Formats: sequence, structure tokens, C-alpha cells
Amino acid sequence: MNEKLKPVHVIGAGLAGSEAAWALANAGVPVILHEMRPVVKTDAHHTADFAELVCSNSFRSDDSETSAVGVLHEEMRRMGSIVMRAAMGAQVPAGGALAVDRDGFSAEVTRALTSHPLITIELGEVSGIPPEDWDSVIVATGPLTSDALARAIRRPHGRGRTRLFRRHRAHHLSRNRGYVGLLVPVAL
Amino acid sequence: MSVCWFQSRYDKEGPGGTGKDYINCPMNRDEYNAFIDALIAGEKTDFKEWEASTPYFDGCLPIEVMAERGPETLRHGPMKPRGLTNAHKPDEKAYAVVQLRQDNALGTLYNMVGFQTKLRHAEQTRIFRTIPGLRNAEFARLGGLHRNTFLNSPRLLDPLMRLRSMPRLRFAGQITGVEGYVESAAMGMLAGRFAAAERLGQTPQMPPRTTAMGALLAHITGEANAETFQPMNVNFGLFPPVEVPPGPDGRKARGRDKVPARKRAYTARALRDMDQWLSPGSKAAE
Repeated sequence: MNEKLKPVHVIGAGLAGSEAAWALANAGVPVILHEMRPVVKTDAHHTADFAELVCSNSFRSDDSETSAVGVLHEEMRRMGSIVMRAAMGAQVPAGGALAVDRDGFSAEVTRALTSHPLITIELGEVSGIPPEDWDSVIVATGPLTSDALARAIRRPHGRGRTRLFRRHRAHHLSRNRGYVGLLVPVAL
Repeated sequence: MSVCWFQSRYDKEGPGGTGKDYINCPMNRDEYNAFIDALIAGEKTDFKEWEASTPYFDGCLPIEVMAERGPETLRHGPMKPRGLTNAHKPDEKAYAVVQLRQDNALGTLYNMVGFQTKLRHAEQTRIFRTIPGLRNAEFARLGGLHRNTFLNSPRLLDPLMRLRSMPRLRFAGQITGVEGYVESAAMGMLAGRFAAAERLGQTPQMPPRTTAMGALLAHITGEANAETFQPMNVNFGLFPPVEVPPGPDGRKARGRDKVPARKRAYTARALRDMDQWLSPGSKAAE
């Protein structure tokens, strides 16, 4: 059956793209997972691994009884999350929080995805609007989404809706500031 | 470690912890005030072009911006001393505490909890070495700032996360206006499930609105105010109101027990409905 299915394209092998590819492949749908690193580097990333954690190493509270993010953890586990599975395998002590060894975590996500028979990895940047014949695409390009793709997202509103588009233009794509890099003191 | 000590806040053990998981660096009042002054005076990295029209996300401010908001801000934020007792001076309450969380399995790297910053790298090293216990610390990686681009999802995306104007494109992760690793991964899972169902000729099933998944999805795909849309962490405010059942003694929770009881009601309902959604007999799994 799988041979007959066209692949779904997932752009970006961060946390969201990794989960999307994993869910598709485990449902029996072939996936082409596009990741621009290490071909194109970013200011935030240090490795070529999938699901690299660029800021904290914590997934926050793991308390599924009284914490909203804790209950989200538990829902994800029940849905078969690769991120939660890899996190449990790379856990470091952090009180009530679920924190991980970031290298071990990303290595496990990378291993799971690259060894899945229905996932094909394509290294390289997808810039602009994805080709017409990609009839199902998941864009998971993260907070550093390139300007080319960001502009492409705006463009399709195009003709016939120009006025509405203009009026709301400023609201279509926003930015705030994210963080990267944290501080890691060693040898106290 | 003659200055710092190992302790989790309130000695909380948690699922993978011991109750002594964090390194705590205490400050007295003078040390704290000097530290705040240094942060404010510290040289910041150059203002990048994209920053000019870009607001800060309030849940994730750089420490020097928090320091500028008022001298007490950090002491009630990432540097709060609550739930911690100085192992070297049990009778002396720290005025503020910097917590370090283990960052690798070996336990050779620690990160500074809640310390986002855009101070110049040389300034970070200089100022953070004034923190008690960190005088001789080496820094494996320093803090920085990046752009965070996100869509106005409530306006642009349909309930199944497709771009309304080009439905072959579906969006997932931080670009959809969720905040946080877990939330981003969660939205990736949903986008993958929806796309898989479509590809297999099935009808994609939305997660129940009462689950954390469903609550986040509903927020970004329409319930949030599009005019003021900003990235959102999962929180109980996104869940529909819940009926709090009486406790084991048959009485309603009162006073300080009320909030935990309500949270337990939210999470119990969420997990029950998630199981229902995932169960083979349900419509979702057909």
C-alpha cells in the first residue's frame, strides 16, 4: 500500500518537524524530511542533529496532575511522541522538571528518524514556496524561518483580496525575540 | 562548593530527581544590589535591524531587561530564594539565589536557570563570575538572542492547521505561535496526524477541546484574538471550565485546597478524554 502513497514533505527537523515525520511514518505514510543543516547553518544551532535544543535543556514540569505542561507531556506519551521517548532516555536530575542531556536527546531523535524505513532525509534548504507537485507539505521551520519563505507565505493572498490583505498585512507575520545559547558554567 | 549547595526547590524529588538536583548560589543584599547594577550598566550586544520593531515575549525576558524594570524584579523571578535553605548557613536566609541545572548526563555542565541575556559575551563572563561560587567558573557557551518569527495563525490557519489560502501547506511548531519546546513538538504531532489521515483517505479527527493538545490547537487556530496574537505556552486558562468533584470525604475543596483540586480536575478530564480519543473503538481511530 505504501508504494502507492505519495510522500508528505516535512520541512524542518526540529522538535515539531521530527514529531510530524514520526507520526506520518508510523501511520504508514512515506515522508521526505527536509533539513537545511548542516548545508545552511544558523546562528542558533551548534550541531547537525535533529531536534537540537538551542536554549534550556528542560521540558519543564513533568507533573501530569497539577501542571498544564505536565499533562501535555503525558498526552504526548500516550500518542507515541518520539520527543518524549527520547527525553526519558536522556533524562538528567532536575527535581519536578523533565530535563535532558541535550546531545543524547538529539542523537536519539536523529537515530530514530533516519532509521525509519518510511522516512527519507533530504539535506538542503527549501526556499520560497514549495514546488507545486508537493501536494501535502508540513512547514515546521521554526523561529528562524527564512525571509524567502516568510514572504512566500504572504504572497498567495494575492489578487482579488488585495484590500483585505493590505489592511491586515502587518498582522500576518510577527516577530518577537527568542533566546539561544544559555550559559553553561563548568568546573565550579 | 564551600559557598553553593545542592538542593531542589522545596526539596521536590520529581520523577527523575533526588531532591538535591540544583546547585544554588546564594547572594546577600549587597551582593544582589551590586549584581543588578552590573547588569544594568553592562554593555549589550548591538541592536540588530530586526529588533527595532520587535517586542519582547514577556515570559522570557533577558535578565538585564528584568533588572531595568526594577531592582526587585529578578529576586521575585528567576533568582527567587524561596524553598531553599543554605546548607552552609542554615540560619541565614539568602536574599537571592542563582540556580544551576545539570545539562549533560555526566554532570559536568550546568546551565543558569532563567538566565537569558543579550549582554556582550565578555560582559557575561565578567559579571557572572561575580556570582558567589562562580568566581572560577568557565563558560562553555554564552547567551544570545535570535529572531522569533511566527504566523498570525488565528487568521491564517484553518482548524486543521492548513494555510487557508494554500491548503496544501500545513504549519507546525513555533512558527504557529506556540511557545516552548513541548508545545512545538505537540503541534508537530497533530500536523503529522492530520496530514497522515488526509493521505490515507480518512477524515482527520481533532483532539478533544478538553485535552491540552486540543486546548492549544483551538487557541492558535481561531480562539485567540488575532489582533493581539502573541506566542502562548500551554496553561489551564486555555482549558474549558471544569466541574471540581468533591474530595474523598465527600466535601468540596475549600481555601488553599481549591486551586490544586481544580488543576487535578482539568488534568484528569484531559487524560480521560485523550484515552477516549485514542481508543481503537472511537471515531478518531477508524
